[in-house]
This record gives sequence, C-alpha cells and structure tokens, in this order.
Amino acid sequence: MRKRPQISPTLLAVLFLAPSAIGLLVFRLGPIVWSFALSFYDWRIFDTPVWAGLDNYVHILNSPIAGRVFLNTLWFAMLYVPGSVGIALVLAVLLNNSLRSSAFFRGSFFLPYITSTVAVTLAWRWIFSTRFGLLNNLLKGLGWSDPPAWLADPAWALPSVAIVSIWKDCGFYMLLLLAGLQTVDPTFHEAAKIDGAGPLKRFWQITVPLISRSLFFVLILALVRSTQTFEITYALTGGGPNRASTTLAYYVYENAFVHFDMGYASALAYLLCIAVGLVTLVNFHFRRRWVHE
Amino acid sequence: MNRASSLLALYCALIAYAAISLSPFAWMLITSFKQPGDLFRLPPTLVPSMLLTEHPFENYATVLVERDFLRFFLNSTFVSFTAAIGQVLTCSLAGYAFARLPLKGKNVLFAAILATAFVPTEVTIIPEFLLMRWFGWMDTFLPLIVPSFFVGSFGTFMLREYFAALPDEFAEAARMDGAGPFKVFWQIYLPLAQPALVSVFVVAFITNWDELLRPILYLNSPELYTVPRGLMSLFSEYEAEWTLFMAGSVVSTLPLVLVYVLAQRHVLQGFMAGGVKG
Repeated sequence: MRKRPQISPTLLAVLFLAPSAIGLLVFRLGPIVWSFALSFYDWRIFDTPVWAGLDNYVHILNSPIAGRVFLNTLWFAMLYVPGSVGIALVLAVLLNNSLRSSAFFRGSFFLPYITSTVAVTLAWRWIFSTRFGLLNNLLKGLGWSDPPAWLADPAWALPSVAIVSIWKDCGFYMLLLLAGLQTVDPTFHEAAKIDGAGPLKRFWQITVPLISRSLFFVLILALVRSTQTFEITYALTGGGPNRASTTLAYYVYENAFVHFDMGYASALAYLLCIAVGLVTLVNFHFRRRWVHE
Repeated sequence: MNRASSLLALYCALIAYAAISLSPFAWMLITSFKQPGDLFRLPPTLVPSMLLTEHPFENYATVLVERDFLRFFLNSTFVSFTAAIGQVLTCSLAGYAFARLPLKGKNVLFAAILATAFVPTEVTIIPEFLLMRWFGWMDTFLPLIVPSFFVGSFGTFMLREYFAALPDEFAEAARMDGAGPFKVFWQIYLPLAQPALVSVFVVAFITNWDELLRPILYLNSPELYTVPRGLMSLFSEYEAEWTLFMAGSVVSTLPLVLVYVLAQRHVLQGFMAGGVKG
C-alpha cells in the first residue's frame, strides 16, 4: 500500500489553533488595548481624536451624574447578589430534599434563565404597569391600597430591574449549587441529627461548609453579572426615570452609542473593569477564610 | 414536625416558587390571546378572549405578517444557527488541539482565551464597533456571525475537557492502520465528542438568539432585524399595544423553550460547564 504524505501533528495544531489565535488578537486583546488607549483621548466619533491625558477620568470623578451612576451600580449589586444567591441556595436545598418530580421544578426554575431576555422583560414591564398591571392589582387584592408605581417611581425603578434580574438568574445559580449539594455525603447529616442538631444548625454548620466551593463560584459569578446590566435595563426602564436606574454598564452604552463620546465611555468601561477586578481579588483574598477545599 | 408535614411544607414552597417562576410566561401567553379592548379592564381578566372569537390567532397574524416578525424570525434563525455552527467548528478544532496535539506554548494561548472571557463586554464593544465600521460591515449580519467563527471561551474549555477525557488507544490503533493526524481527529475523535458538540451548539444558539446590544449597534434596516431587536422597535413605535407586544414576545421565546424541551440534558450540561453565557 502506498502511503500518502501526512501532515505533522504540530502543523495540524497550528492550523487548528489559528482561528482562535486570530480571534483572540482581533476581537479581544486588540480591543482591550485599544479602549485603554481611547480612554486618554477626547473623541466624538465624527471628529478627530485629541489627546486628553487623564481628563476623562478626572471628569468622571467630578461628575455628579457619574457619581449617581456608581451609587446605583453599588445599590443594584447589594440587591442582586444576596437576593439571587440566597433564593438559589434555598431552592437548591429544597430540591435536594424533595423525593420525586424534582425534574419539573428544576425545569421551571431554570426556564427564565434561557428564554429571550427582551421578551420576558417586556412581560414584566406589563406586569409592573401601575394601574393595569398584574402585580399592583394582586397587591391591592392582598390589602395594600397604595402600591408603588414601580418603573415610574425613582425609588423603585432600580429595585424593579433587580427583581427581574434575580427572577431570571437565580434558577441558574440554583442549578450550580444543586450540583454541589449532590456531592455531599448524607451520612454527615445523619450523624448530626443523632447528635441533636436542628435543621438550621445543620444547614449552617454542615451544608454551607461542604458546598463552600460551589457557593464561592456562584458568588463571584453573581458579582460579575451584577455589573453587566444592559438588556433588562434597556427594555424595562431605559435607565430612567431621570437616571434612577442607570447603572455603569448602561451608562457606558449611553455615552458610547447615544452620545458617541468614545473616549469618555472607554474611561468609564475601564473603571468598571477595574472595579470588577478589585472585587474579585478581594473575594479571592478572603476565600481561604471560609472556603474548604 | 413529623416527616409527612415537613414534606408537605417543602412541596408548598417549591410550588410557590414555581408559580413565581412561570407566571410571567403565563401572563405573556394569556395577554397575547386577548382582544385589545380587554387589556385595560380592572381587575385584569385571565381570559384569553381572542380564543373565543372567529380569529383566535389574530394578534399573531398581525405581528407575524403586518409587523414583519416572520422576517425577523427567519433572520434570528439564520444568524443564531450560523453563529452556533461557527462556534462548534472553531471550538472543536481548538479544543482538540489543546487536548491532544503537541505544540509548545499552547497553554499560554489557552490561558489567554479563558482569562479574556472575564473582561466585561463594555470594555471591548467600543473597539469592536469601530472595527466593524472600518470593515464596512455595518447593516449586515456579518458582525453578528463572524466573531463566533474565531474564538469561544466556554466551548473551547468544554471541548478541551471532553477530548482530553477520551482514551488514547483509538488514536494509536488508527495510526497503526496508517491514518494521519487529521483523519484521527475527523473520523474518530470528533464523532465521539458528539454530546459535547451538541451542548456547545445549543448554548451558542440560545446566546445568539438572545443578543440585543449587537443588533442595536449594527443593524439599521428593519428588514435585517432579529426578533429581540424587532420587538424593541415594535415597542417604541406603537403605544401600549400589549396584545401585539406579548404575541411578539411569545414568538421570541418559543424557539428557546422548544430547544430547552428537546435538548434539556445538553442545555443544562452546556450552561453548567460554562458557568457563563457565551
């Protein structure tokens, strides 16, 4: 049998990795460096870029609007992270204890995460409607005579965005925690029960330490996601009323693609990136205090 | 508490949350089958009144034909399908090379692909936009599809794990029979990775279907709109036509529910392996 000339495995590796390497350069590393450079320029997209040094950063730090936006972002994270991870943990523990039909519950809890964001957000917008919405009519039925105007109320607009985001994501976090719970050996619980530990004590002293690795991962994930609020904000409130629900990610979009102020938006994006990086680092620093390997 | 009553409490809690989780979908569906006149009744009715008339699907007909959602649906299907194929192709090549082919320095590349996945979109989207403008790709599907053909962190990660877990013996046996390294990949390892390939495909399909920011940035002509983009423009053009908005929302949601129901195992595994969308 005549042998055909064969390509060497190393050459094949180069060919196989070429698209990813090119993509990494063109769509990731390049843009990361490029937007860092842009953040030092004053550039409306239709003019020529002018070197501005640290001006963009100085403007951001002195701008009352940007300050408001930073506070909104923080407030959103404070609502979203404990809300979504807390509900996810409770649901995961409940599901882990249920006998049958858990596939149905798991499926219904996870469904919001994978369905069209814009579509479900519009459905929520209709539910939140002040006079004709399902929610307020339900609340009135329960005896709350004067429920909030939700999306039209500056105090409630951002919490509304948080509610929709928690509703959408917590099923996903539940799934990740459930996978962690299923590796826990039930004999730990039996032993603690014999020693007379109640369900709450068993939860805090056995379940939480044993799934601390998945819990840590989910917390990081939720933190990162809490800074990336675009679709839901866009379709629910448009950042309003009067910027009450504008978070940093949305503000980047607005500056870059509504005002086309590319330099200022890049500086905002970098501050966002640095903030996420710092929070993640702090979390990793405290990791060994409570995460058990 | 005895065992029976604690089980009862458990199921009550699960059912209560399932109701919260599913009711927005139910309300979307009911509203999409209402007559416009029933929208602003107090208290709100739960009756899908359009179903009782002679044209039960009128809202859907209006949205699909008059408001062009049929076209948006086809656009979304084309974009999501093509982008997902690109993602499977690139990630399977890269995942295989990372797992089973010899190349110095490949781990540096792998680390870079993983690390850059955690950089927020906000940081890269502005240069990406400028790049697409420079390529002359504005108002085409290319910016929504082409990047998927180049790099995908989650898919590369997942397929690398999968290929690495497959035994070496197949490769050795094939090599004895004179198969070259490409044939070993194409005829032996790729077919074996089929479950992981399906997972990567469905996750990429769902993620691309759901995309809103890029269609807003890159598509100007209404005939190119994807469903989420079309939904937002329908919403901003017409005042309070919730029956139509919700019919459009059902059109946007249904394919994803269908994918989920048909490929539940792959969807769950894919998203769990990634931990992140995209």
